[in-house]
Amino acid sequence: MKVIVDRTKCDNHGQCTFSAPTVFRLDDNGILQYEENVDESLRDEVEEASDVCPAQAIRIAD
Amino acid sequence: MTTELDIPYLDIADPSFAMHSQAVRDARARSWVAKTNYGYAILRHEYVSKLLKDPRLRQGSAKWPEHNGVHSGLFYDWWTKCLLVLEGEDHHRIRRLLNPAFSLKHLEPYLPRFEELADELIDSFLPSGQVEFVNEFAQPYATRVLCILLGIPESEWPTIARLASTIGLALGITLEQDLPAVEDALAELYGYAEDLIRDRQANPGPDLVSRLVDANRNGDSLSDDELRNALCLLIFGGMDTTRNQLGLGVMSFMQHPEQWELLAAHPELAPAAVEEVMRTNPTTTWVTRETVVDFDYEDLHIDAGTTVHFFTQVSGTDPQAYPNPEIDITAERVGHYGFGGGMHHCLGHFVARADMSIALRALSKKMTNLRINGVDEWMPDSGNTGPVLLPLAFDAR
Ligand code: HEM
Ligand code: HEM
Ligand code: SF4
Repeated sequence: MKVIVDRTKCDNHGQCTFSAPTVFRLDDNGILQYEENVDESLRDEVEEASDVCPAQAIRIAD
Repeated sequence: MTTELDIPYLDIADPSFAMHSQAVRDARARSWVAKTNYGYAILRHEYVSKLLKDPRLRQGSAKWPEHNGVHSGLFYDWWTKCLLVLEGEDHHRIRRLLNPAFSLKHLEPYLPRFEELADELIDSFLPSGQVEFVNEFAQPYATRVLCILLGIPESEWPTIARLASTIGLALGITLEQDLPAVEDALAELYGYAEDLIRDRQANPGPDLVSRLVDANRNGDSLSDDELRNALCLLIFGGMDTTRNQLGLGVMSFMQHPEQWELLAAHPELAPAAVEEVMRTNPTTTWVTRETVVDFDYEDLHIDAGTTVHFFTQVSGTDPQAYPNPEIDITAERVGHYGFGGGMHHCLGHFVARADMSIALRALSKKMTNLRINGVDEWMPDSGNTGPVLLPLAFDAR
Protein backbone atom coordinates (compact mmCIF):
# COMPACT_ATOMS: atom_id res chain seq x y z
CA MET A 1 0.00 0.00 0.00
CA LYS A 2 1.25 3.49 -0.83
CA VAL A 3 0.89 6.41 1.60
CA ILE A 4 0.71 9.95 0.24
CA VAL A 5 0.81 13.06 2.40
CA ASP A 6 -0.16 16.31 0.73
CA ARG A 7 2.59 18.62 1.98
CA THR A 8 0.61 21.70 1.05
CA LYS A 9 -2.05 20.64 3.57
CA CYS A 10 0.04 18.92 6.26
CA ASP A 11 0.81 21.29 9.13
CA ASN A 12 2.99 18.93 11.20
CA HIS A 13 0.48 18.49 14.03
CA GLY A 14 1.72 14.94 14.55
CA GLN A 15 -1.67 13.37 15.31
CA CYS A 16 -0.90 10.69 12.72
CA THR A 17 2.12 9.58 14.75
CA PHE A 18 -0.21 8.46 17.56
CA SER A 19 -2.22 6.25 15.23
CA ALA A 20 0.62 4.70 13.22
CA PRO A 21 3.93 5.32 15.00
CA THR A 22 5.95 3.04 12.73
CA VAL A 23 4.78 4.87 9.61
CA PHE A 24 4.73 8.51 10.71
CA ARG A 25 7.13 10.40 12.99
CA LEU A 26 8.16 13.96 13.71
CA ASP A 27 11.87 14.73 13.39
CA ASP A 28 13.89 16.88 15.83
CA ASN A 29 12.62 20.02 14.12
CA GLY A 30 9.03 18.89 14.49
CA ILE A 31 8.65 18.14 10.75
CA LEU A 32 6.67 15.09 9.60
CA GLN A 33 8.68 12.20 8.12
CA TYR A 34 6.90 9.10 6.86
CA GLU A 35 7.21 5.82 5.00
CA GLU A 36 5.72 5.82 1.52
CA ASN A 37 5.54 2.08 0.97
CA VAL A 38 3.82 0.41 3.85
CA ASP A 39 3.00 -3.20 4.59
CA GLU A 40 -0.63 -4.20 4.14
CA SER A 41 -0.77 -5.34 7.79
CA LEU A 42 -0.68 -1.66 8.84
CA ARG A 43 -3.69 -0.63 6.78
CA ASP A 44 -6.01 -0.13 9.77
CA GLU A 45 -3.48 2.07 11.53
CA VAL A 46 -2.86 4.21 8.46
CA GLU A 47 -6.58 4.57 7.81
CA GLU A 48 -7.01 5.73 11.38
CA ALA A 49 -4.18 8.25 10.90
CA SER A 50 -5.87 9.52 7.78
CA ASP A 51 -9.23 9.85 9.60
CA VAL A 52 -7.82 11.77 12.55
CA CYS A 53 -5.46 14.10 10.65
CA PRO A 54 -6.76 17.61 11.43
CA ALA A 55 -5.64 18.85 8.01
CA GLN A 56 -7.02 15.80 6.15
CA ALA A 57 -3.66 15.53 4.39
CA ILE A 58 -3.17 11.73 4.27
CA ARG A 59 -4.28 9.56 1.38
CA ILE A 60 -3.80 5.86 0.76
CA ALA A 61 -3.22 4.68 -2.79
CA ASP A 62 -3.47 0.91 -3.16
CA MET B 1 18.88 36.26 30.96
CA THR B 2 16.91 38.07 28.35
CA THR B 3 18.35 39.47 25.20
CA GLU B 4 19.41 42.99 24.42
CA LEU B 5 17.08 42.97 21.42
CA ASP B 6 14.84 45.93 20.91
CA ILE B 7 11.50 44.17 20.72
CA PRO B 8 8.05 45.68 21.28
CA TYR B 9 6.30 45.43 24.66
CA LEU B 10 2.57 44.65 24.96
CA ASP B 11 0.68 45.07 28.26
CA ILE B 12 -1.69 42.13 27.85
CA ALA B 13 -2.91 42.34 31.47
CA ASP B 14 -4.46 45.76 30.82
CA PRO B 15 -8.25 45.15 30.66
CA SER B 16 -8.45 47.47 27.65
CA PHE B 17 -5.76 45.55 25.75
CA ALA B 18 -7.14 44.76 22.27
CA MET B 19 -5.80 42.26 19.75
CA HIS B 20 -7.46 44.27 16.96
CA SER B 21 -5.46 47.43 17.68
CA GLN B 22 -2.96 49.56 15.84
CA ALA B 23 -0.40 49.01 18.64
CA VAL B 24 -0.49 45.26 18.06
CA ARG B 25 -0.34 45.64 14.26
CA ASP B 26 2.64 47.98 14.63
CA ALA B 27 4.37 45.48 16.91
CA ARG B 28 3.80 42.71 14.35
CA ALA B 29 5.19 44.89 11.54
CA ARG B 30 8.29 45.59 13.61
CA SER B 31 9.01 42.15 15.05
CA TRP B 32 7.90 38.52 15.04
CA VAL B 33 7.99 38.49 18.84
CA ALA B 34 6.94 40.87 21.62
CA LYS B 35 7.58 40.93 25.35
CA THR B 36 4.55 40.87 27.60
CA ASN B 37 3.76 40.83 31.31
CA TYR B 38 3.93 37.02 31.22
CA GLY B 39 6.81 36.25 28.90
CA TYR B 40 6.84 36.40 25.13
CA ALA B 41 4.13 36.68 22.50
CA ILE B 42 4.62 35.30 18.99
CA LEU B 43 2.96 37.58 16.45
CA ARG B 44 3.67 36.36 12.91
CA HIS B 45 2.09 33.39 11.15
CA GLU B 46 5.36 31.83 9.98
CA TYR B 47 6.78 31.81 13.51
CA VAL B 48 3.60 30.57 15.17
CA SER B 49 3.51 27.75 12.66
CA LYS B 50 7.08 26.68 13.45
CA LEU B 51 7.37 27.31 17.18
CA LEU B 52 3.94 26.06 18.25
CA LYS B 53 5.00 22.56 17.25
CA ASP B 54 8.59 22.84 18.47
CA PRO B 55 9.44 19.96 20.83
CA ARG B 56 11.31 22.39 23.10
CA LEU B 57 8.01 23.85 24.27
CA ARG B 58 5.24 22.21 26.25
CA GLN B 59 1.70 23.04 27.37
CA GLY B 60 1.81 26.10 29.61
CA SER B 61 -1.33 25.75 31.73
CA ALA B 62 -0.26 22.67 33.72
CA LYS B 63 0.74 24.54 36.85
CA TRP B 64 -2.33 26.75 36.97
CA PRO B 65 -3.80 25.29 40.20
CA GLU B 66 -0.44 25.45 42.01
CA HIS B 67 0.13 29.02 40.88
CA ASN B 68 -3.18 29.79 42.55
CA GLY B 69 -2.55 28.05 45.83
CA VAL B 70 -4.37 24.79 45.06
CA HIS B 71 -2.22 21.70 45.65
CA SER B 72 -4.66 18.85 46.22
CA GLY B 73 -8.29 17.79 46.09
CA LEU B 74 -10.83 16.79 43.48
CA PHE B 75 -10.20 19.72 41.14
CA TYR B 76 -6.44 19.41 41.42
CA ASP B 77 -6.60 15.69 40.61
CA TRP B 78 -8.84 16.25 37.61
CA TRP B 79 -6.82 19.13 36.23
CA THR B 80 -3.47 17.40 36.53
CA LYS B 81 -4.82 14.32 34.73
CA CYS B 82 -6.66 16.28 32.06
CA LEU B 83 -5.56 15.70 28.46
CA LEU B 84 -4.85 19.37 27.93
CA VAL B 85 -2.02 19.42 30.47
CA LEU B 86 -0.63 15.91 30.02
CA GLU B 87 2.60 15.63 28.04
CA GLY B 88 4.59 12.93 26.29
CA GLU B 89 3.46 9.32 26.31
CA ASP B 90 0.74 9.99 28.96
CA HIS B 91 -0.88 12.49 26.62
CA HIS B 92 -0.39 10.53 23.41
CA ARG B 93 -1.87 7.34 24.84
CA ILE B 94 -5.15 9.00 25.83
CA ARG B 95 -5.26 11.11 22.68
CA ARG B 96 -4.76 8.01 20.50
CA LEU B 97 -7.70 6.31 22.21
CA LEU B 98 -9.97 9.37 21.94
CA ASN B 99 -9.11 10.60 18.43
CA PRO B 100 -10.97 8.08 16.23
CA ALA B 101 -14.34 8.73 17.92
CA PHE B 102 -14.01 12.41 16.92
CA SER B 103 -13.26 11.78 13.26
CA LEU B 104 -15.52 13.16 10.57
CA LYS B 105 -17.02 9.83 9.56
CA HIS B 106 -18.32 9.15 13.08
CA LEU B 107 -19.84 12.61 13.32
CA GLU B 108 -21.95 12.43 10.22
CA PRO B 109 -24.90 10.64 11.87
CA TYR B 110 -25.27 13.55 14.30
CA LEU B 111 -25.37 16.34 11.73
CA PRO B 112 -29.10 16.17 10.81
CA ARG B 113 -30.01 16.64 14.48
CA PHE B 114 -27.65 19.66 14.71
CA GLU B 115 -29.52 21.16 11.75
CA GLU B 116 -32.93 20.60 13.31
CA LEU B 117 -31.70 22.13 16.54
CA ALA B 118 -30.42 25.27 14.79
CA ASP B 119 -33.76 25.67 13.02
CA GLU B 120 -35.77 25.10 16.20
CA LEU B 121 -33.84 27.75 18.09
CA ILE B 122 -34.02 30.29 15.25
CA ASP B 123 -37.73 29.72 14.68
CA SER B 124 -38.43 30.44 18.36
CA PHE B 125 -37.26 34.07 18.05
CA LEU B 126 -37.59 34.70 14.30
CA PRO B 127 -41.07 36.31 14.34
CA SER B 128 -40.05 38.87 16.97
CA GLY B 129 -37.23 40.29 14.82
CA GLN B 130 -34.90 40.41 17.83
CA VAL B 131 -32.72 38.07 19.85
CA GLU B 132 -30.19 38.19 22.65
CA PHE B 133 -27.82 36.05 20.64
CA VAL B 134 -25.69 34.61 23.47
CA ASN B 135 -28.46 33.32 25.72
CA GLU B 136 -31.10 32.58 23.11
CA PHE B 137 -28.92 30.93 20.48
CA ALA B 138 -25.21 30.42 21.07
CA GLN B 139 -25.37 29.02 24.61
CA PRO B 140 -28.28 26.58 24.16
CA TYR B 141 -26.96 25.51 20.75
CA ALA B 142 -23.41 24.83 21.99
CA THR B 143 -24.62 23.02 25.10
CA ARG B 144 -27.25 20.93 23.37
CA VAL B 145 -24.80 19.90 20.64
CA LEU B 146 -22.61 18.41 23.37
CA CYS B 147 -25.65 16.76 25.00
CA ILE B 148 -26.53 15.20 21.63
CA LEU B 149 -22.98 14.03 21.12
CA LEU B 150 -22.69 12.52 24.60
CA GLY B 151 -26.23 11.15 24.73
CA ILE B 152 -27.34 13.34 27.67
CA PRO B 153 -31.06 14.23 27.35
CA GLU B 154 -31.20 17.64 25.68
CA SER B 155 -33.71 18.85 28.29
CA GLU B 156 -30.89 18.79 30.84
CA TRP B 157 -28.87 21.42 29.04
CA PRO B 158 -29.39 24.21 31.61
CA THR B 159 -27.84 22.01 34.32
CA ILE B 160 -24.88 21.11 32.12
CA ALA B 161 -24.39 24.77 31.20
CA ARG B 162 -24.49 25.79 34.87
CA LEU B 163 -21.99 23.11 35.94
CA ALA B 164 -19.58 23.97 33.13
CA SER B 165 -19.66 27.69 33.85
CA THR B 166 -19.13 27.04 37.58
CA ILE B 167 -16.10 24.89 36.76
CA GLY B 168 -15.05 27.76 34.49
CA LEU B 169 -14.63 29.92 37.61
CA ALA B 170 -11.48 27.89 38.13
CA LEU B 171 -10.01 29.80 35.21
CA GLY B 172 -10.22 33.04 37.14
CA ILE B 173 -7.63 34.38 39.53
CA THR B 174 -10.04 33.88 42.45
CA LEU B 175 -9.64 30.11 42.10
CA GLU B 176 -8.79 29.56 45.77
CA GLN B 177 -11.94 31.32 46.92
CA ASP B 178 -14.15 29.66 44.29
CA LEU B 179 -12.74 26.22 44.92
CA PRO B 180 -15.62 24.76 47.01
CA ALA B 181 -18.18 25.70 44.33
CA VAL B 182 -15.89 24.39 41.58
CA GLU B 183 -15.41 21.07 43.35
CA ASP B 184 -19.16 20.64 43.97
CA ALA B 185 -19.85 21.27 40.30
CA LEU B 186 -17.12 18.89 39.23
CA ALA B 187 -18.48 16.19 41.55
CA GLU B 188 -21.94 16.64 40.02
CA LEU B 189 -20.52 16.48 36.50
CA TYR B 190 -18.63 13.31 37.47
CA GLY B 191 -22.00 11.86 38.49
CA TYR B 192 -23.41 12.52 35.02
CA ALA B 193 -20.36 11.06 33.34
CA GLU B 194 -20.35 7.94 35.52
CA ASP B 195 -24.05 7.29 34.82
CA LEU B 196 -23.40 7.62 31.09
CA ILE B 197 -20.47 5.21 31.19
CA ARG B 198 -22.42 2.60 33.18
CA ASP B 199 -25.36 2.92 30.82
CA ARG B 200 -23.24 2.44 27.66
CA GLN B 201 -21.33 -0.44 29.20
CA ALA B 202 -24.68 -2.17 29.74
CA ASN B 203 -26.32 -0.99 26.47
CA PRO B 204 -23.65 -0.31 23.85
CA GLY B 205 -24.74 1.48 20.67
CA PRO B 206 -23.20 3.29 17.67
CA ASP B 207 -22.84 6.54 19.66
CA LEU B 208 -19.75 8.46 20.69
CA VAL B 209 -19.69 7.40 24.35
CA SER B 210 -20.05 3.72 23.37
CA ARG B 211 -17.13 4.18 21.00
CA LEU B 212 -15.04 5.58 23.82
CA VAL B 213 -16.08 2.76 26.16
CA ASP B 214 -14.97 0.37 23.41
CA ALA B 215 -11.83 2.28 22.38
CA ASN B 216 -9.00 -0.10 22.65
CA ARG B 217 -5.64 -0.51 21.06
CA ASN B 218 -3.34 -3.49 21.34
CA GLY B 219 -5.19 -4.44 24.50
CA ASP B 220 -4.91 -0.93 25.99
CA SER B 221 -8.15 0.87 26.78
CA LEU B 222 -9.38 3.81 28.83
CA SER B 223 -10.07 3.03 32.49
CA ASP B 224 -13.43 4.15 33.89
CA ASP B 225 -11.71 7.07 35.62
CA GLU B 226 -9.92 8.13 32.45
CA LEU B 227 -13.15 7.97 30.54
CA ARG B 228 -14.95 10.03 33.16
CA ASN B 229 -12.20 12.67 33.14
CA ALA B 230 -12.34 12.79 29.37
CA LEU B 231 -16.12 13.25 29.24
CA CYS B 232 -15.90 16.12 31.73
CA LEU B 233 -13.16 17.74 29.74
CA LEU B 234 -15.20 17.55 26.54
CA ILE B 235 -18.04 19.37 28.24
CA PHE B 236 -15.69 21.91 29.71
CA GLY B 237 -13.51 22.40 26.64
CA GLY B 238 -16.24 22.31 24.00
CA MET B 239 -19.06 24.45 25.29
CA ASP B 240 -17.88 27.96 26.13
CA THR B 241 -15.49 27.90 23.18
CA THR B 242 -18.27 27.13 20.71
CA ARG B 243 -20.68 29.60 22.33
CA ASN B 244 -18.08 32.39 22.23
CA GLN B 245 -16.95 31.62 18.69
CA LEU B 246 -20.52 31.75 17.38
CA GLY B 247 -21.05 35.17 18.97
CA LEU B 248 -17.77 36.44 17.52
CA GLY B 249 -18.74 35.03 14.14
CA VAL B 250 -22.05 36.85 14.01
CA MET B 251 -20.29 40.06 15.11
CA SER B 252 -17.75 39.69 12.27
CA PHE B 253 -20.51 39.27 9.71
CA MET B 254 -22.36 42.29 11.09
CA GLN B 255 -19.26 44.30 10.26
CA HIS B 256 -19.15 42.74 6.78
CA PRO B 257 -22.81 42.47 5.70
CA GLU B 258 -21.85 41.83 2.05
CA GLN B 259 -20.12 38.62 3.23
CA TRP B 260 -23.27 37.60 5.11
CA GLU B 261 -25.34 38.06 1.97
CA LEU B 262 -22.79 36.06 0.01
CA LEU B 263 -23.11 33.24 2.53
CA ALA B 264 -26.91 33.35 2.36
CA ALA B 265 -26.74 33.08 -1.43
CA HIS B 266 -24.05 30.36 -1.32
CA PRO B 267 -24.72 28.11 1.68
CA GLU B 268 -21.98 25.77 0.43
CA LEU B 269 -19.50 28.44 1.58
CA ALA B 270 -20.44 27.86 5.26
CA PRO B 271 -17.28 25.85 6.07
CA ALA B 272 -15.14 28.64 4.59
CA ALA B 273 -17.16 31.16 6.62
CA VAL B 274 -16.21 29.30 9.81
CA GLU B 275 -12.51 29.30 8.85
CA GLU B 276 -12.56 33.00 8.04
CA VAL B 277 -14.24 33.91 11.31
CA MET B 278 -11.81 31.83 13.32
CA ARG B 279 -8.87 33.29 11.46
CA THR B 280 -9.85 36.94 11.88
CA ASN B 281 -11.85 36.85 15.12
CA PRO B 282 -10.96 33.77 17.19
CA THR B 283 -12.30 33.16 20.70
CA THR B 284 -8.99 31.66 21.77
CA THR B 285 -6.84 34.73 21.34
CA TRP B 286 -3.69 32.98 22.45
CA VAL B 287 -2.41 29.49 23.05
CA THR B 288 0.01 29.09 25.95
CA ARG B 289 3.28 27.17 26.02
CA GLU B 290 6.29 27.06 28.29
CA THR B 291 9.89 26.43 27.26
CA VAL B 292 11.34 23.16 28.53
CA VAL B 293 15.01 24.01 27.93
CA ASP B 294 17.05 27.16 27.36
CA PHE B 295 17.23 27.88 23.68
CA ASP B 296 18.09 30.38 20.99
CA TYR B 297 15.70 31.15 18.20
CA GLU B 298 16.96 33.50 15.51
CA ASP B 299 18.47 36.29 17.61
CA LEU B 300 16.33 35.70 20.68
CA HIS B 301 17.52 33.76 23.72
CA ILE B 302 14.73 32.20 25.80
CA ASP B 303 15.31 30.69 29.25
CA ALA B 304 13.72 27.38 30.25
CA GLY B 305 10.41 27.89 32.05
CA THR B 306 9.46 31.04 30.13
CA THR B 307 5.81 31.46 29.12
CA VAL B 308 5.21 31.89 25.40
CA HIS B 309 1.83 32.99 24.07
CA PHE B 310 0.99 32.26 20.45
CA PHE B 311 -1.34 35.00 19.26
CA THR B 312 -4.00 33.55 16.97
CA GLN B 313 -5.87 36.59 15.64
CA VAL B 314 -2.62 38.49 15.17
CA SER B 315 -0.94 35.65 13.25
CA GLY B 316 -4.23 34.99 11.43
CA THR B 317 -4.25 38.50 9.97
CA ASP B 318 -0.50 38.71 9.31
CA PRO B 319 -0.22 40.33 5.86
CA GLN B 320 2.83 38.18 5.07
CA ALA B 321 0.63 35.06 5.17
CA TYR B 322 -2.63 36.72 4.11
CA PRO B 323 -2.06 39.50 1.57
CA ASN B 324 -5.66 40.74 1.95
CA PRO B 325 -6.37 39.82 5.55
CA GLU B 326 -9.98 41.07 5.66
CA ILE B 327 -12.64 38.35 5.91
CA ASP B 328 -13.39 36.87 2.48
CA ILE B 329 -15.30 33.59 2.39
CA THR B 330 -14.36 32.95 -1.23
CA ALA B 331 -10.57 33.23 -0.76
CA GLU B 332 -8.08 30.34 -0.67
CA ARG B 333 -6.16 30.68 2.59
CA VAL B 334 -3.40 28.95 4.50
CA GLY B 335 -4.54 27.52 7.84
CA HIS B 336 -5.00 29.53 11.05
CA TYR B 337 -4.24 28.52 14.66
CA GLY B 338 -7.65 29.16 16.22
CA PHE B 339 -7.72 25.45 17.20
CA GLY B 340 -4.14 25.52 18.45
CA GLY B 341 -1.65 23.21 16.81
CA GLY B 342 0.64 20.24 17.31
CA MET B 343 0.08 17.43 19.80
CA HIS B 344 -2.61 19.44 21.65
CA HIS B 345 -4.45 20.49 18.50
CA CYS B 346 -8.13 20.72 19.43
CA LEU B 347 -9.69 17.26 19.74
CA GLY B 348 -13.16 18.59 18.94
CA HIS B 349 -12.35 20.66 15.85
CA PHE B 350 -14.37 18.48 13.45
CA VAL B 351 -17.36 18.81 15.79
CA ALA B 352 -16.91 22.56 16.19
CA ARG B 353 -16.34 23.12 12.47
CA ALA B 354 -19.41 21.11 11.55
CA ASP B 355 -21.77 22.53 14.16
CA MET B 356 -20.71 26.13 13.56
CA SER B 357 -21.05 25.86 9.79
CA ILE B 358 -24.54 24.40 10.24
CA ALA B 359 -25.42 27.28 12.58
CA LEU B 360 -24.05 30.05 10.34
CA ARG B 361 -25.78 28.57 7.30
CA ALA B 362 -29.13 28.40 9.09
CA LEU B 363 -28.82 31.90 10.56
CA SER B 364 -27.83 33.53 7.26
CA LYS B 365 -30.64 31.73 5.47
CA LYS B 366 -33.32 33.17 7.75
CA MET B 367 -31.95 36.52 8.96
CA THR B 368 -30.69 39.66 7.25
CA ASN B 369 -29.85 43.27 8.15
CA LEU B 370 -28.42 42.28 11.53
CA ARG B 371 -27.71 45.15 13.93
CA ILE B 372 -26.96 45.75 17.60
CA ASN B 373 -30.17 46.42 19.48
CA GLY B 374 -29.24 47.69 22.95
CA VAL B 375 -26.08 47.28 24.97
CA ASP B 376 -23.61 44.55 24.09
CA GLU B 377 -21.09 43.38 26.67
CA TRP B 378 -17.75 41.62 26.06
CA MET B 379 -15.12 39.61 27.89
CA PRO B 380 -11.59 41.03 27.81
CA ASP B 381 -9.28 40.04 24.97
CA SER B 382 -7.00 37.73 26.99
CA GLY B 383 -6.86 33.99 26.50
CA ASN B 384 -10.50 33.32 25.64
CA THR B 385 -12.90 36.03 24.58
CA GLY B 386 -16.42 36.56 23.26
CA PRO B 387 -19.68 38.39 23.93
CA VAL B 388 -21.43 38.13 27.30
CA LEU B 389 -24.52 39.84 25.91
CA LEU B 390 -25.24 40.43 22.23
CA PRO B 391 -28.73 41.89 21.74
CA LEU B 392 -29.59 41.97 18.03
CA ALA B 393 -32.37 43.16 15.78
CA PHE B 394 -32.77 41.75 12.27
CA ASP B 395 -35.19 41.30 9.41
CA ALA B 396 -36.52 37.81 8.80
CA ARG B 397 -36.28 36.51 5.23
C1 HEM C 1 -15.07 26.85 18.39
C2 HEM C 1 -14.90 25.93 19.26
C3 HEM C 1 -13.56 25.51 19.79
C4 HEM C 1 -12.39 26.20 19.84
C5 HEM C 1 -12.10 27.62 19.39
C6 HEM C 1 -11.41 25.32 20.44
C7 HEM C 1 -10.08 25.66 20.65
C8 HEM C 1 -9.13 24.80 21.15
C9 HEM C 1 -7.73 25.10 21.24
C10 HEM C 1 -7.08 26.39 20.80
C11 HEM C 1 -7.11 24.04 21.81
C12 HEM C 1 -5.62 23.88 22.07
C13 HEM C 1 -5.21 24.44 23.40
C14 HEM C 1 -3.72 24.42 23.56
O1 HEM C 1 -3.01 23.88 22.72
O2 HEM C 1 -3.26 24.98 24.56
C15 HEM C 1 -8.13 23.06 22.10
C16 HEM C 1 -7.91 21.85 22.71
C17 HEM C 1 -8.91 20.95 23.01
N1 HEM C 1 -10.24 21.03 22.63
FE1 HEM C 1 -11.09 22.53 21.58
N2 HEM C 1 -12.00 24.14 20.76
C18 HEM C 1 -13.32 24.20 20.36
C19 HEM C 1 -14.27 23.21 20.48
C20 HEM C 1 -14.06 21.99 21.08
C21 HEM C 1 -15.05 20.95 21.20
C22 HEM C 1 -16.46 21.01 20.62
C23 HEM C 1 -14.48 19.95 21.92
C24 HEM C 1 -15.03 18.62 22.35
C25 HEM C 1 -16.01 18.01 21.81
C26 HEM C 1 -13.12 20.36 22.25
C27 HEM C 1 -12.23 19.61 22.98
C28 HEM C 1 -10.89 19.93 23.14
C29 HEM C 1 -9.95 19.11 23.87
C30 HEM C 1 -10.25 17.82 24.57
C31 HEM C 1 -8.71 19.75 23.80
C32 HEM C 1 -7.40 19.28 24.41
C33 HEM C 1 -6.63 18.46 23.40
C34 HEM C 1 -5.26 18.02 23.87
O3 HEM C 1 -4.69 18.65 24.76
O4 HEM C 1 -4.76 17.01 23.31
N3 HEM C 1 -12.90 21.59 21.71
N4 HEM C 1 -9.36 23.54 21.67
C1 HEM D 1 -10.17 20.06 29.31
C2 HEM D 1 -10.80 21.05 29.13
C3 HEM D 1 -10.18 22.31 28.74
C4 HEM D 1 -9.89 22.72 27.48
C5 HEM D 1 -10.09 21.99 26.20
C6 HEM D 1 -9.36 24.04 27.61
C7 HEM D 1 -9.00 24.83 26.55
C8 HEM D 1 -8.36 26.01 26.71
C9 HEM D 1 -7.99 26.85 25.65
C10 HEM D 1 -8.30 26.57 24.20
C11 HEM D 1 -7.34 27.92 26.17
C12 HEM D 1 -6.75 29.09 25.45
C13 HEM D 1 -5.44 28.69 24.88
C14 HEM D 1 -4.32 28.59 25.84
O1 HEM D 1 -4.10 29.53 26.63
O2 HEM D 1 -3.61 27.58 25.79
C15 HEM D 1 -7.29 27.74 27.58
C16 HEM D 1 -6.69 28.61 28.44
C17 HEM D 1 -6.62 28.40 29.76
N1 HEM D 1 -7.24 27.41 30.47
FE1 HEM D 1 -8.29 25.94 29.70
N2 HEM D 1 -9.31 24.38 28.93
C18 HEM D 1 -9.79 23.34 29.65
C19 HEM D 1 -9.93 23.27 31.00
C20 HEM D 1 -9.40 24.19 31.85
C21 HEM D 1 -9.62 24.18 33.26
C22 HEM D 1 -10.46 23.21 34.02
C23 HEM D 1 -8.92 25.20 33.77
C24 HEM D 1 -8.90 25.59 35.19
C25 HEM D 1 -7.90 25.78 35.86
C26 HEM D 1 -8.24 25.83 32.69
C27 HEM D 1 -7.34 26.86 32.82
C28 HEM D 1 -6.90 27.57 31.78
C29 HEM D 1 -6.03 28.70 31.92
C30 HEM D 1 -5.45 29.22 33.20
C31 HEM D 1 -5.85 29.22 30.66
C32 HEM D 1 -5.03 30.39 30.29
C33 HEM D 1 -5.90 31.59 30.31
C34 HEM D 1 -5.10 32.81 30.09
O3 HEM D 1 -3.89 32.67 29.85
O4 HEM D 1 -5.70 33.88 30.16
N3 HEM D 1 -8.58 25.21 31.54
N4 HEM D 1 -7.93 26.58 27.88
S1 SF4 E 1 -1.72 14.54 11.39
FE1 SF4 E 1 -1.92 15.38 9.34
S2 SF4 E 1 -1.20 17.47 9.52
FE2 SF4 E 1 -0.50 16.37 11.29
S3 SF4 E 1 1.56 15.67 10.79
FE3 SF4 E 1 0.16 14.03 10.31
S4 SF4 E 1 -0.33 14.38 8.18
FE4 SF4 E 1 0.54 16.26 8.87
